[in-house]
Amino acid sequence: MQELRWIWLIARKDLSLEFRAAGRLLSMIAFVVLAGFLFGFALDNSQVSGRAVVASLIWLTVLFASTAGAGRIFDMEEEDGAFRHVLLTPVSRRAVFLGKTVANLVLTWLITALSFVALTSFLGVRSSGSLAAHAAIFLPGTIGLSATATFFGRMSRHSTLGDSLLPVLTFPLLAPVVFFGATASARVFMALPWDEISGLVRLLWAFAIGSVTVGAVLFHQLTDE
Amino acid sequence: MTLEGRGIVCNYGAVRALAGVDVRAAGREILAIVGPNGAGKTTLLKVLSGERRPDSGEVVLDGCPVSGSDAAWRARIGLVSHRTGLYEKLTVTENLRFFATLHGVARNGRTLTATLEAVGAGGLATRRIEALSRGQRQRVALARSLLHAPEVLFLDEPFTGLDPEGAAALERALATRRDEGTVVVLVTHDLRRGLRLADRVVVLRRGRKVFDGEAIEEGAGEILDRFTAGAGGP
Repeated sequence: MQELRWIWLIARKDLSLEFRAAGRLLSMIAFVVLAGFLFGFALDNSQVSGRAVVASLIWLTVLFASTAGAGRIFDMEEEDGAFRHVLLTPVSRRAVFLGKTVANLVLTWLITALSFVALTSFLGVRSSGSLAAHAAIFLPGTIGLSATATFFGRMSRHSTLGDSLLPVLTFPLLAPVVFFGATASARVFMALPWDEISGLVRLLWAFAIGSVTVGAVLFHQLTDE
Repeated sequence: MTLEGRGIVCNYGAVRALAGVDVRAAGREILAIVGPNGAGKTTLLKVLSGERRPDSGEVVLDGCPVSGSDAAWRARIGLVSHRTGLYEKLTVTENLRFFATLHGVARNGRTLTATLEAVGAGGLATRRIEALSRGQRQRVALARSLLHAPEVLFLDEPFTGLDPEGAAALERALATRRDEGTVVVLVTHDLRRGLRLADRVVVLRRGRKVFDGEAIEEGAGEILDRFTAGAGGP
């Protein structure tokens, strides 16, 4: 119970900071909308249909925007050395990791929803499948993405390479998430039966559970000197 | 209550930051660790607080080893550093509630106000940290460190950037904690202030302890001046 309280407290604090530093969130929203706008222009509709690529573009936009956001959550902690004081409280490192993952997840959901709306609008695509089916794919995909980005977001803060290290560390690991997620989402856009999608969703759940578990177990290695 | 560091050795790569330092801080006294920049003061404080594992040696409280990985130990300590460690976009009350909850202590508005007033920060409760002066922030940081009534209070250059009024308030707060039985460990490069505040002084130089004695010993100031040449301070 105490652990859940800590997780909630850290997630709520991170989200409060994120929403109050509105400039950061606005830049992320601007990135998503502009990406959708540019993809709409860059695609030659006479050669490639929007329906064929929209799922991949949504997943890539979510990947880029959420990975950039993961590092920022630790930047806020380092502004005046606050993280040092958090780690000196009895809070478990597991709760810190999970709290930050939850905060990242909420922001990733916002990005995902916005990307979905922006890209389907700019590419002029209407999904033949239901929104519930899309949500069932994005849920495990974004959990795995957020947990991985949170873990490596902290790791990149230990390095002099900083932000430039984060994509190098995370993108190879997240390639399966993007592949399985984009494939599953594309099948929903084409209204294929759930039987042809459920296997991919199970893989996304396996990745999500694995990344959350590994992050929670190993996070103390990134915080304790 | 007695906190001891025994034979502490710490290395940063090939650089030896602490070379077998023994240090002892007892309740009802303020221990000042002084020395020039790079002497190993902050490293020693981090080892004592459990933030950093020593390469060799141990930290014991009343004879029992303590470690930063032990949540029960972290619940018993407080820290004030030159970086306030407060969230700028949150209000004073939100900051204090956040840390109080992490420490597992319930603090209602009245208690928070009383804690703030005790450190001369009454009236700041609803203001965001980003709107406060350096001195006000440091008082809030002190209030945060006292919320859970720590048995051991660590201070890492807490006077940096404080105005005289803020420094005086911090000194009064430390004296109160000392009188209430708290072990107070103060790291400072400000030799004069260290001598004035502390009951005992440890001087570090290049990772080695070069003086350990009563701050009021006759001639202590001259001895310390000699050992900390180049340390600065008024």
